[in-house]
Amino acid sequence: MRVFQLQRWSAIALLFFLTIHMIVVHYPPFHINFDNILVRLENPVWKVIDILFLLSVLVHALTGAYQVITDVDRAFDYRKGLAWAAAVIGVVAFVYGAATIWAFQLPV
Amino acid sequence: MSNDNTQRTVTVSIQRFDPDVDKKPHMQDYQVEMTKGMTILDALHEIKTHQDGSVTYRRSCRHGICGSCAMLINGRNTLACKTPLIDEVGHKNRVTLGPLPYLPIIKDMVVDRTTFWEQYLRVKPWLIPPDDIPEKEFRMSKEEVNALHDAESCIMCGACYSSCTVIGLNKHYVGPHALLKAFMRVMDPRDEAPGQRLADLDGADGVYRCHTVFNCIDACPKGLNPTQAIETLRKLAQKRKKFETTRRKRQQHLHEPIPAK
Repeated sequence: MRVFQLQRWSAIALLFFLTIHMIVVHYPPFHINFDNILVRLENPVWKVIDILFLLSVLVHALTGAYQVITDVDRAFDYRKGLAWAAAVIGVVAFVYGAATIWAFQLPV
Repeated sequence: MSNDNTQRTVTVSIQRFDPDVDKKPHMQDYQVEMTKGMTILDALHEIKTHQDGSVTYRRSCRHGICGSCAMLINGRNTLACKTPLIDEVGHKNRVTLGPLPYLPIIKDMVVDRTTFWEQYLRVKPWLIPPDDIPEKEFRMSKEEVNALHDAESCIMCGACYSSCTVIGLNKHYVGPHALLKAFMRVMDPRDEAPGQRLADLDGADGVYRCHTVFNCIDACPKGLNPTQAIETLRKLAQKRKKFETTRRKRQQHLHEPIPAK
């Protein structure tokens, strides 16, 4: 798949996840309560949603940064190396972020 | 719009650069008596003929056909021969002229267009006809002609190319001028190699490098729309095989009369 397509698909996914994120985290139709937040963060469905959200953010940000950097003539010649660097950063950030989200448990 | 308030002296500020003498470009002002119907190119002729013969610029047809006199006029790329002086001087009574941006300056307003032509040749801007050429003529429908969006009227002036911010950073990018020409060939039902053309443009320096800034549309003195052409090429590049099959089917009927509606 082309970087262009990756960025467009991740943008569409971001639109979906950001809408959910903004509603649930910042403008919930109920009173924000710390206990409710903990319950949500512990819910496996929300964990999956948050991990997918993280994935969309990483793909979109890294493909965007890659595109902008390779716009510059000198960087264009190193685009293979830059693509690998972006992939490594993406995988490390995703594994670290996903593990953190998945490991969350309610405090005893 | 022009008006008849023409008889006045205006300042024409020109970016000068002589690589043999100057370290960097500088501005030089000239006073020109503006006459009715005077264009920017007329003003330049006036300066070169009567005031300073060293002012250097390209021009040829004076009718907006050859594209030679494309330059930066008050910060916008356009043709000097098509631009009335009165439209540009404004209340400051001054017009600023410079060479096309992002291209190496040879002298004053003459730029080195090597990369422009190299990128143009990259897209093979000529028609590649099918092996089975009809005895009389190819028949194109009205819709097929309309789909070209007048791309054939491009005069290769370079206004779009040198207004593109991506070109400013990256000379590997094909550029809007060449992509418009590629679009014209890809959309032309007579062309036999649309799949190959799309494959060639599918790389990192092809259609996906465009950031849809729309500068090329603003700059085009012929009112063409390279951005739309690039968007179309992007879509077609993603479904190249299907497009090739459709083209092959269409070419089997190119010599037949178009059925009346």
